[in-house]
Amino acid sequence: MAERRIQSDDKHIQNLAAIVGGEHSILYHKEDLIAYDCDGFTLHKHLPKAVVFPKNTEEVAKLVKYCSDNQLPFLARGAGTGLSGGAIPINGEVIISLVRMKRLLNVDLENRRAVVEPGYVNLKLTNSISDKGYYYAPDPSSQYCCTIGGNVAENAGGAHCLKYGVTTNHILGLEVVLPNGEIIEIGKNGILDTPGYDLLGLLTGSEGTLGIVTKIIVRILKKPEAKQTILAYFDKVSDGSQAVSDIISAGIVPAALEMMDKIAIEGVEAAAFPVGHPKDIEAMLLIEVDGISAGINDQINQILDLCKKRNVREVKVAQNEQESNRWWANRKTGFGAMGAISPDYLVQDGVIPRSKLPEVLDRIQKVSEEYGLRIANIFHAGDGNLHPLVLFDARIPGESEKALKAGSACLKVCADAGGTITGEHGVGIEKKEEMRFVFTDEEIMAQTNIREVFNPNNLLNAGKLFPTPARCVEIKKERKVSHERRKVGTT
Amino acid sequence: MSSKEAPIKESPMCTTKGLGNYLWNDPPDENKWADCVHCGMCLESCPTYEQTGMEQHSPRGRVYLIKSVAEGKLEVNKQFMDPVFACLDCRACTTACPADVDVGGLIEEARGQIRQAMPLTGVKKAVNDLFLKGLFPHQNRLNAIGSLLKFYQKSGMQKIVRKTGLIHIMPKHLVEMEAILPEIKEPVRKKYKNEMVIKAKGKAKHEVGFLTGCIMDVMFSDINQSTINVLTRNGNNVVIPKNQTCCGALHVHAGDRETGRKLAKQNIEAFEDCEKVIVNAAGCGCMMKEYPELFKNDPEWHKKAVEFSKKVEDISKYLYDTGYEKPKAEIKTRITYHDACHLAHGQGIRQEPRDLLLDIPGVEMVHMPNADRCCGSAGIYNITNPEMAGAVLKSKMENVPEDVEMISMGNPGCMLQMALGVQKYGRNQKIVHTVQLLDWAYQKEDEWKNRGD
Repeated sequence: MAERRIQSDDKHIQNLAAIVGGEHSILYHKEDLIAYDCDGFTLHKHLPKAVVFPKNTEEVAKLVKYCSDNQLPFLARGAGTGLSGGAIPINGEVIISLVRMKRLLNVDLENRRAVVEPGYVNLKLTNSISDKGYYYAPDPSSQYCCTIGGNVAENAGGAHCLKYGVTTNHILGLEVVLPNGEIIEIGKNGILDTPGYDLLGLLTGSEGTLGIVTKIIVRILKKPEAKQTILAYFDKVSDGSQAVSDIISAGIVPAALEMMDKIAIEGVEAAAFPVGHPKDIEAMLLIEVDGISAGINDQINQILDLCKKRNVREVKVAQNEQESNRWWANRKTGFGAMGAISPDYLVQDGVIPRSKLPEVLDRIQKVSEEYGLRIANIFHAGDGNLHPLVLFDARIPGESEKALKAGSACLKVCADAGGTITGEHGVGIEKKEEMRFVFTDEEIMAQTNIREVFNPNNLLNAGKLFPTPARCVEIKKERKVSHERRKVGTT
Repeated sequence: MSSKEAPIKESPMCTTKGLGNYLWNDPPDENKWADCVHCGMCLESCPTYEQTGMEQHSPRGRVYLIKSVAEGKLEVNKQFMDPVFACLDCRACTTACPADVDVGGLIEEARGQIRQAMPLTGVKKAVNDLFLKGLFPHQNRLNAIGSLLKFYQKSGMQKIVRKTGLIHIMPKHLVEMEAILPEIKEPVRKKYKNEMVIKAKGKAKHEVGFLTGCIMDVMFSDINQSTINVLTRNGNNVVIPKNQTCCGALHVHAGDRETGRKLAKQNIEAFEDCEKVIVNAAGCGCMMKEYPELFKNDPEWHKKAVEFSKKVEDISKYLYDTGYEKPKAEIKTRITYHDACHLAHGQGIRQEPRDLLLDIPGVEMVHMPNADRCCGSAGIYNITNPEMAGAVLKSKMENVPEDVEMISMGNPGCMLQMALGVQKYGRNQKIVHTVQLLDWAYQKEDEWKNRGD
């Protein structure tokens, strides 16, 4: 890239550039910003004011303080793979991109922890310690490129959360820049369960509304001694989901238990990593068991038997690691693969009681018919986390709106079945109205009150996670805030 | 967005030939970006994103920009040009993409539009015209340059230029390149100009056409010779059609699709009578397999291009598929293998060359981490974008294992760039083409036999 001077008269751009050390660390031309007008969620778009690339915590703190002092809305962004729009600058924010803070700072095998910067890519951590027999458990499907900072913000899950838990179960400490520019540390030295409130738990999954994480202490695990993967094809969804229930009821805790339906299979088979699944089956299960070598074969046999009892058409155990990797690549690229059968897709993220799956899928099928849009289903069946993928074409006028409504209707189905509206992708912009399916206004207000403690002026990632106030109490509150903001602005 | 900039246009401009703000014929293909769902799985595969962390320098970002111009949100201008031309065209994103988005094709089409919107001027135009139009398509001129270089190396002039400091009138990255110029030998097209068919040793099983390449035959004629040796040894008659020309890859990468089409047509005709077209340069092979892309709007030539592209095969894949004699002589060496982008990502050829090398007795292969990461050569990218190419090369060299004697690969551009890397970072590996090693093993075997006789 050629050298270039700051070609902007905007004093904020010049001042922000000065903090991060010049023109190679800031973007402000429309052509450069447009790639930042959305993240993995593409139905809302807005240009940021600028994108800045700090190199360290101090620069982040200075940027935050500058934005805060000058009433500039701002937000943090990692790889931008989020699926609920958490990193979309809907208020024309200054985006603080953390991708250049991508160092692995320390690995402490003895105490089984590692310290990373927020821009460090999830899979790189496992890759860098796997030769020593360790790994980092949370494995969202985007782990090839998503950042651990983003994982913390969204409390990301993944296929193996069934046995090992989601991101929050693996975070031992955080360094956070608060919305006023102050740097704090939570969970010092990575010691578990410090006294007082569980701030780590509060920050993890706060979707970038409480502070910007600049350093993360994570737990690393010893790789399981043995691992086996099973693939099972069912002619009926009800048989497949019954088999899932049977496996869990039998006391087996698989490391992963994934399901895909017919349309999802059509997608992955048309895309870059096909494995040759039959096209006429209704459900496919991908099951992984791991643990100590002794006994693993008994578990495998037990699972095979349980599948056979539920009329499985075909069930097989991976012959080697390559085969298992192929099956997983096919599953993990499932969302992106929808591009092969549809120009656009909207992924939803409901959670349901496992036993309700056949009923929920039926009702989702009805939603699909009602809106005239195909819906594929990828399902972390073991923990009841369902991903309906609404397929649509944004070029057709009105179809994006229709897709959003269909997605919302899917979440309603999940909530009505006794579940909830997000398992791992977060609320972001996408599901904030649907928060009303599961929380009362009072409950929502209780939570925005917590946000105010950290983010009183609501300059950091405003308009995410909670619905826009509908009742007078909240409107009053907002007025009060904007009044305060004005005050700050004039001083 | 600063307040001074123009607001985004609501409705795209409509023209008969173009698309949105692409005003010229042959605009980027809408169906190609329709496959992209913005998931971001490509980010980590991209060398320029790795270096900058900026999304407009990532595959997803570039696709988005290209789409935005068609939607009328952006115009074809300098700010748009920078990320589109900073792409190495390494195609690693194509491998990473779950939806098989043809990012490379989109980039090349967009470059075509940029070059028409903003024709090169001044020195850049002169240099571009000299190399891409005046030189590469003309074998006789290339040979003349080759002879000059040979004279430069042999006459002692090279020493004088280096000693007197005259060399420092060149930009630094060109000085670095001068230092790694391979020793110039006689081009095979000159050597075999009177032979219609180079006969197979023993019984001929196949007859194949051979693309000698433009630069390849001047700078690396010894690799061309090795290719011929290996082909004839394995029962192939080799034909070198006289009117063949440069494959056009560099022109298409630079956005000159018109010249690209001209050269493509000439090659399609030149190889009309050949059943197979064997290529030993990954970049050329990939380009020739993609000729149909150039003729999307020309059904007659599109059909010919499709037929032609089916005949094109890389030497390693061809040997692997048709069978080859396993060498018996031992070459005792530790090597590593670098995947040329246009072989691995562009043509999906990864295992065949490795198997070929491992079939040579005595060859021990050490794994290179990220072997399919671009080295920064990328055609003439290392000349046009030296800064980025240097950064990409640096991270490539960090992955080259310490204890190997040779780095093998299947593309001349990579060979020059990796030689530069070896020199620049004080390493001592020899850079070889896969067929060269195979050819040496055969030669050693023959020496054995002769001695035995």
